[in-house]
Amino acid sequence: MTDSSMSQPSYLNIKKGLFSWIFTLDHKRIGLLYLYSVGAFFLVGAALGVLMRLELLNPGGDLIEAQTYNQVFTLHGVIMIFLFIIPSIPAVFGNFFLPIMLGTDDVAFPRLNLMSWWLYVIGALFALSTLVFGDGPADTGWTFYAPYSVKTGTNVSMSVLAAFILGFSSILTGLNFIVTIHRLRAPGMGFNQMPLFSWALYATSWIQLLATPIIGITLLMIVAERMLGIGLFDPSIGGDPILYQHLFWIYSHPAVYIMALPAMGIVSEIIPTFAQRTIFGYKAIAYSSMAIAFVGYFVWGHHMFTSGMSGPAAYIFSILTFFVAIPTSIKVFNWLATMYKGSISIEVPLLYAVGFIFNFLIGGLTGLVNGALAADVHLHDTYFVVGHFHYVMFGGTGFAFFGALHYWFPKIWGKMYNKLVANVAFAIIFIGFNTLYFPMLILGIMGMPRRYYDYLPEFHSLNQISTYGSWILVSGLLLMIYNLIRGYFNGTKTTDNPWNGITLEWQTKSPPPLHNFDKAPELVKGGPYNYPNAIDGSH
Amino acid sequence: MSDNTKLVNHNDNEIHITSYVEHFGTWISLILLTFMTVFISVFGADLNTLTVATALFIASIKALVVAYYFMHLKYDPKIYRVMIIVVMALFLFFLLMLVVDYLTR
Amino acid sequence: MEHSFVLPNSGHNYDAKASKLGMWLFLYTELLLFGGLFIVYMVYRSLNPDAFLIASFNLNVWMGTINTVVLLTSSMTIAMSITAVQLGNSKLSLQLLLLTVLAAVVFLVIKYFEWGAKIEHGLWPGMDHFISLSHGEQLYFFLYFFMTGLHGLHVIVGMIFIIVVMNKIKKGSINKDKNQLLENSGLYWHLVDLIWIYLFPLFYLIH
Repeated sequence: MTDSSMSQPSYLNIKKGLFSWIFTLDHKRIGLLYLYSVGAFFLVGAALGVLMRLELLNPGGDLIEAQTYNQVFTLHGVIMIFLFIIPSIPAVFGNFFLPIMLGTDDVAFPRLNLMSWWLYVIGALFALSTLVFGDGPADTGWTFYAPYSVKTGTNVSMSVLAAFILGFSSILTGLNFIVTIHRLRAPGMGFNQMPLFSWALYATSWIQLLATPIIGITLLMIVAERMLGIGLFDPSIGGDPILYQHLFWIYSHPAVYIMALPAMGIVSEIIPTFAQRTIFGYKAIAYSSMAIAFVGYFVWGHHMFTSGMSGPAAYIFSILTFFVAIPTSIKVFNWLATMYKGSISIEVPLLYAVGFIFNFLIGGLTGLVNGALAADVHLHDTYFVVGHFHYVMFGGTGFAFFGALHYWFPKIWGKMYNKLVANVAFAIIFIGFNTLYFPMLILGIMGMPRRYYDYLPEFHSLNQISTYGSWILVSGLLLMIYNLIRGYFNGTKTTDNPWNGITLEWQTKSPPPLHNFDKAPELVKGGPYNYPNAIDGSH
Repeated sequence: MSDNTKLVNHNDNEIHITSYVEHFGTWISLILLTFMTVFISVFGADLNTLTVATALFIASIKALVVAYYFMHLKYDPKIYRVMIIVVMALFLFFLLMLVVDYLTR
Repeated sequence: MEHSFVLPNSGHNYDAKASKLGMWLFLYTELLLFGGLFIVYMVYRSLNPDAFLIASFNLNVWMGTINTVVLLTSSMTIAMSITAVQLGNSKLSLQLLLLTVLAAVVFLVIKYFEWGAKIEHGLWPGMDHFISLSHGEQLYFFLYFFMTGLHGLHVIVGMIFIIVVMNKIKKGSINKDKNQLLENSGLYWHLVDLIWIYLFPLFYLIH
């Protein structure tokens, strides 16, 4: 880099060489290591997704066979969930910005932080090794449902061990963040003066910590059952497959909030900055993060309404599921209220944030449809579910991830991408995304089941639209990535605070020095979003 | 949130040192409880289903004693007790919902 | 190059309280890891109460009781060793930790003989005797091996942890003023004890 004019060397050029990166203890470099790794896996996962859409362009197995298709959607799920979306925002932007936003120089346990990245790499290698070793990658779906996962000849054990190791990596990140938030806040920054992104990460970390071990042990039991054949989950020898589903979703439902909460935190950062206005209902947003995390533990059964779970249990889970909608909608109202009467500058990050709200609203409301018992009996395992969770995960978390990338890009690299191209890329992504996934909702209501390589002729036209959407989406993504890479190499130098933000990361240099701050950061009086020039100070 | 802020204050000078005698007393009570639970199980016999309940009840008392005295929870800031209660409550909820499912199936 | 300014709340400072909080958080994950197994135990026990009862007669209550006493005693010695270090008596602390490690070895030796006897009787999953059992009994023995095995693994990890701590006490890097690592090893060891407190009645005492 050519920042020789700066007094303090930035974290980017203080040391050179591969080893100064892969063995770094600096939270910013670890964040970037995660960015490159999850970015790479996102591209792999997306490529697999496009492949599936291509197969579904026409009915019949004209491109790939049924078995290959099963393995492709399993790999797509495992990669996107365990290797991309769970680590995405917390491990990339959490690592990079949590300490800076709290006004400190690193996380509480820097070595543990590095270890969790290494565990991520090892877990990823395990997952990829199934492509080469054994009888091919798992074909069970990312849920590894018993008894099929116990019986299939594909390399389930390896995939499951990969998920176990990746879970460990996720636990360590969460542990690190909780301790960091408790112990390393800047002097004078109470819990209620923290930026909302930290609150979101705090809630997320508790889920990572308290839910992940359960799936860890469950996956080990799958391996044990495959090796020893005891009949833990296999009904043909007396096991109970529903117990497996319980244990799986006790983790995997809270895991949905591991994916969604940090995204909400990002949106809560972007919106006040581009509205130049105090966030509306700070405490409501902060505590609703905790509420979502808490209630999220109690609703796992809504994935199992058609599994043979008892009626009363299903009623309870259904009612509890509706409670999750309350804190979520509190957040949406607060974001909208923050923008109301703000002096909004429509920049790329804000577009992604608003895109998030739009998509997440569709994703959330279709979630309620799934959560209703009667509707779910019809919609379970149809494309409606696939559409629903892609709206939440990709349209929600994915958009927030891209928004964060555009928001903090100048802070991370000290340069600016081409804003016009970024705007165009956003428009293409937004259109492509909705063209790709909205037809799935209709297909699901029409009754098209998920996880098949083939379908009946009456679903043809909607599937075609969906596949065209995937092409639009991919071209938008490629344009966005091209634009960011070009910005990285040739972007114009930016000021330290191009968006006029007031959370602590905007007080330091772009890119930040190794220890984040050259002098003690000054806390903003009256809360982290108290913009001095807000048009309407009262709220 | 006042408990959380307490954690941040560096009042490192007031470390509580548990005495040897207290540790020994804790040990005695744990051993007594162990013999009690073994005695009930092996010789007390006819409690039927209550055997498990008593055994688990005594085990929980032992666990509390270990956590409270050996693990120092009694003298730690309140937040530690709050956190472990939340964790255990969460786990008990998992158990409860599974019981609801299996009993009403 | 030299960075003169260091934040008061730096992540690179020695912070006993952060270290302790981190250890507790880790213990929660351990609790829930075993929690998953306890869930499986609860479900299958309630579905096969008689088979679990019959299978449990194969376990020797007295060996289990001795092991419980051994672990409880080791919990006391490690707790006392913390007191000793805090009072500045490193030598006593080392002796108490040595006792703790010895207790761990005794525990593992007894466990070894218990497992050995079961395997000799062909009760390891897949062996002749095991296959002839009813499904409920098979589940009991699977869970017995899985849970006590995982617990035994934790005993071994705890031993290694304590030995590392002993080295640090010898070198003086754990001392009167700076002993959080010792306290953490103690917390870990107590957790190993805590889990055994539940394993013992659930497997040995369901007569």
